[in-house]
Amino acid sequence: MRTRLGTTALACAALLVAGCNGTSVTDDSAGGGEGQDGKGEITGKLQLTFWGGANRAAKTNAVADMFVKEHAGVTIDRQNADFGNYFNKLNIQASSKTLPCVMQLQGRQLNDYTKRKVLLPLDPMIESGAIKIDDIPKEVVDTGRGPDGKLYFLPYGAAYDAVGVNETLATQAGVGLPPDNYTWAQYTDWMTRASAKLPKGTFAAGSRGGLPNFFIAYQLANGKQLFTEDGKLGFTKESLVEYWTMWEKLRKAGTSMGADAQADEPEGAEQGFIAQGRLLTDSIPGNALTPASGTLATKGGGQKLTTLPMPSGPSGGGNAMFTSGFAIPTNCDNVPTAAAFIDFFTNDPEAGALFKSDNGAATNQKVLQAQLDDPELPELKKRELALYQQIVAKKPPTILYPPGYQATFESTFTRSYEEIAFGKKTVEQAAESFFTEANAGLGG
Amino acid sequence: MKSSRTGREGLTAYVFLSPWLIGIVLLTLGPMLYSAYLAFTNYDLLSPPRWIGLDNFRRMFTADPRYLSSVRVTLVYVAVSVPLLLIVSMALALLLNKGIRFLSGYRALFYLPSLMGASVAIAVLWRQIFGGSGLVNQVLGVFGIERGSWVGNPGTALWTIVTLNLWAFGATMIIFLAGLRQVPVELHEAAAVDGAGPIRRFFSVTLPLMTPLIFFNLLLDTIHAFQAFTGAFVVSRGSGGPADSTLFYTLYLYQQGFAELKMGYASAMAWALVIVLAAFTGFLFLTAKRWVYYGDER
Repeated sequence: MRTRLGTTALACAALLVAGCNGTSVTDDSAGGGEGQDGKGEITGKLQLTFWGGANRAAKTNAVADMFVKEHAGVTIDRQNADFGNYFNKLNIQASSKTLPCVMQLQGRQLNDYTKRKVLLPLDPMIESGAIKIDDIPKEVVDTGRGPDGKLYFLPYGAAYDAVGVNETLATQAGVGLPPDNYTWAQYTDWMTRASAKLPKGTFAAGSRGGLPNFFIAYQLANGKQLFTEDGKLGFTKESLVEYWTMWEKLRKAGTSMGADAQADEPEGAEQGFIAQGRLLTDSIPGNALTPASGTLATKGGGQKLTTLPMPSGPSGGGNAMFTSGFAIPTNCDNVPTAAAFIDFFTNDPEAGALFKSDNGAATNQKVLQAQLDDPELPELKKRELALYQQIVAKKPPTILYPPGYQATFESTFTRSYEEIAFGKKTVEQAAESFFTEANAGLGG
Repeated sequence: MKSSRTGREGLTAYVFLSPWLIGIVLLTLGPMLYSAYLAFTNYDLLSPPRWIGLDNFRRMFTADPRYLSSVRVTLVYVAVSVPLLLIVSMALALLLNKGIRFLSGYRALFYLPSLMGASVAIAVLWRQIFGGSGLVNQVLGVFGIERGSWVGNPGTALWTIVTLNLWAFGATMIIFLAGLRQVPVELHEAAAVDGAGPIRRFFSVTLPLMTPLIFFNLLLDTIHAFQAFTGAFVVSRGSGGPADSTLFYTLYLYQQGFAELKMGYASAMAWALVIVLAAFTGFLFLTAKRWVYYGDER
C-alpha cells in the first residue's frame, strides 16, 4: 500500500517537473517549413506582438483576423503593450528565446537587437518573393536596415514628429501661426509674444528641454550629426549647452510650463497637455493629430489643433523619418507564415484600408494613394498625410540609432534636463554628466 | 527490517514534500544561485554571460553616481517610513484596544487599506491625489495655500511614497493589537494601585511586554521597505524621477536589468542588497538581547 502511495506521489512529482519544463511560451512549430527564404506552407500558429493603445490594437487585430480568414489553418495569438513597457517585455522574451514570430520594431530600438543577432535578415524572403517591396520607396525600405546593410524589419508605416499648434489659442493671442520655414529663433520668439496674452493656466510651451525628439530636430536643422559611426554622441557639448540655455530662458520667463507641472502630464499624445488645451504648442507625433484633436474637441470652445513641420535651420528642415514595421526573430520556427503575414500587413490594399495609416503613413505607395483618393478620408487624416508628403519631398535623413539609444540616450537626456530645471545642476554641469553617461551606455 | 521501514518512510515523506521541494529548488534556489554567478559576469540577456570578476561591484561604488543616489534615496525612505509606520500602527492599536464599541468594525475598516496597500491601482490614485490639481492641493487651496505638483517636485516626491507606505499600516497594527490584548490586566491593575498613571503604565508595563512584537514588525517592515518598488515605479512612471528623487534601489536594479540590459550588474546589485539585509537582520538579532523582553524568560 505504502509503496503504491509512494509511486503515485513520485509520478505526481514527475508530472510537476514535466509541467515546469514543458511550458514553452512560443509554440510556433505546428506549421510551415524550415525555409529561411520565407517559402513554404502558410499554416499553423503565429504569435504577433505590437505596441499601441486600444485603437491601434483594434485595427491591428482586424487585419490579423482578415489574414486568418484568407489562410485556413492559421491562428494568430496577439500580444500588445504600451510603447514604454513593450520593449522591456520584448527583452525578456528575447532572453528566453521566445520572441513572437512577428514582432513590431522601430529604428530607435532596431540595433539593440541586431547587435545581439536575434533577428532574421528579410533579404532572402524578398529575393524569393515571399515578401514584396515593389511599391515601397527604396529610401523608406532602407530605414529597416541594420549597420551590416541587411534588412531586419519591413517598414509598413512612416511617421514624423511635428510641431502641434492650438490654432484657437494662437488666434486669441493674436500671433497666428509661425511663418513657413520658421527657424528655432522665430519659434521661441513666437511663443514669447503669445505667452502674455494666453488665458490663465495655459502656457505657450511645455517644459520640453528634456524631450529627445525636439533636440534631434534642433540638431538636424543645424546640420549636426547625432551619432558617430561607432554609436557614440556625434554632436558637441556646446550645442547641447546652447539648446538647454534656450529652454531655460523660456522657463525662467514663464513662457513654458514649470518642470513639476510637466511631470503631471498623462502619457500618450491622446491625453497630453496640448490635447487638453493647456499648451499653445508642443511636439507631437504627426499621426497624433487625429486622436489629440479628438480630445481637444471635448474641452469646449471649439478649439482646433494643427501640425507644422519641425523648425528649420541653416541645413534645412529638422524632420527625420521614423518608420515602424515587423521583424522575424531567429527563434521563429514558422517563418513562411510570418513572412506571409508581414507581406499581407504591409502590401495588401484591403489590409491597408482597414489599418488606415494608424502608425504613420502607409509605406506602400498604392495603399497610401488609395487612402488619399478616398473622398471620405477625414480632414485631419488628410492633413497628417499631406504634411507627410511635404516632409518626404524634402528627402529627410534617416537616423541610424545606436544600440542603447532608447534606454540610455532618451532617459538620460530627460533626467539631465530635469536636474537643470530643478536647480540641481547648471546647464554646463548637466551637459557634462549627460555626455559621460550617454557615451558609457551607447554603442558598443 | 526496521531500518528499511524507516528508510521507506523517509522516502515517502520526501515524495510528499516534493512539490514544495521542486518549487524551491527550481523557482527560488536555482535562479538565486544563477544570479550569484551572473553577478560576476557581463550579461546582456541576449548573448551568453562573460566572466568579469568583481568589476560589477567595483563599478557600483566607484563609477556609478546613480547607484549611490539610489542607495541614498532608499536609506532615507527606510529611516523615515519604518519608524513612522511603527509609531502610527502602535498608536492606532492602543486606541482600538480601549474597548470601544464596534471594535471589529473599526478593525476591518483600518485593515482595508492594507488589502489594497501597495497595489498599482492605489499608486495610480496617489499620482492623482498628489498631482498639481489633485485632491491635496484642492484642500490646501481652500486655505489659500497654492502649491505645485507634489509628485512632480523632487523635494516632495519621495514623501508621497512614504505616505503611500504609511497608508497600509493595517498589517502592522493588527499584530500590535493582538499583542496588546495579551498584556495581563493584573499587571496594569497592580501598577495603577501603585499610583502609576496611564503614560507611566504604557512605558513600564505595555511597552516592555510588546517588545517581541516590535522586534518582529521592525524586522519585517524594514526588509519590506528596502524592497519597496511598486509605489515608486508607478508614481514616477518607472523613471525614478523627477531628477532621480524616487530612484529606489529596486527600481534602479530593474532599470539596469530590463531596460538597459545589464543583467550582470543588476544581479550584483541584488546580491549587495541581500548582503545588507542579512547584515541588518544579524545586527537586529544581536541587539535583541538588550531590548527585547520575553515575559517567560528569567
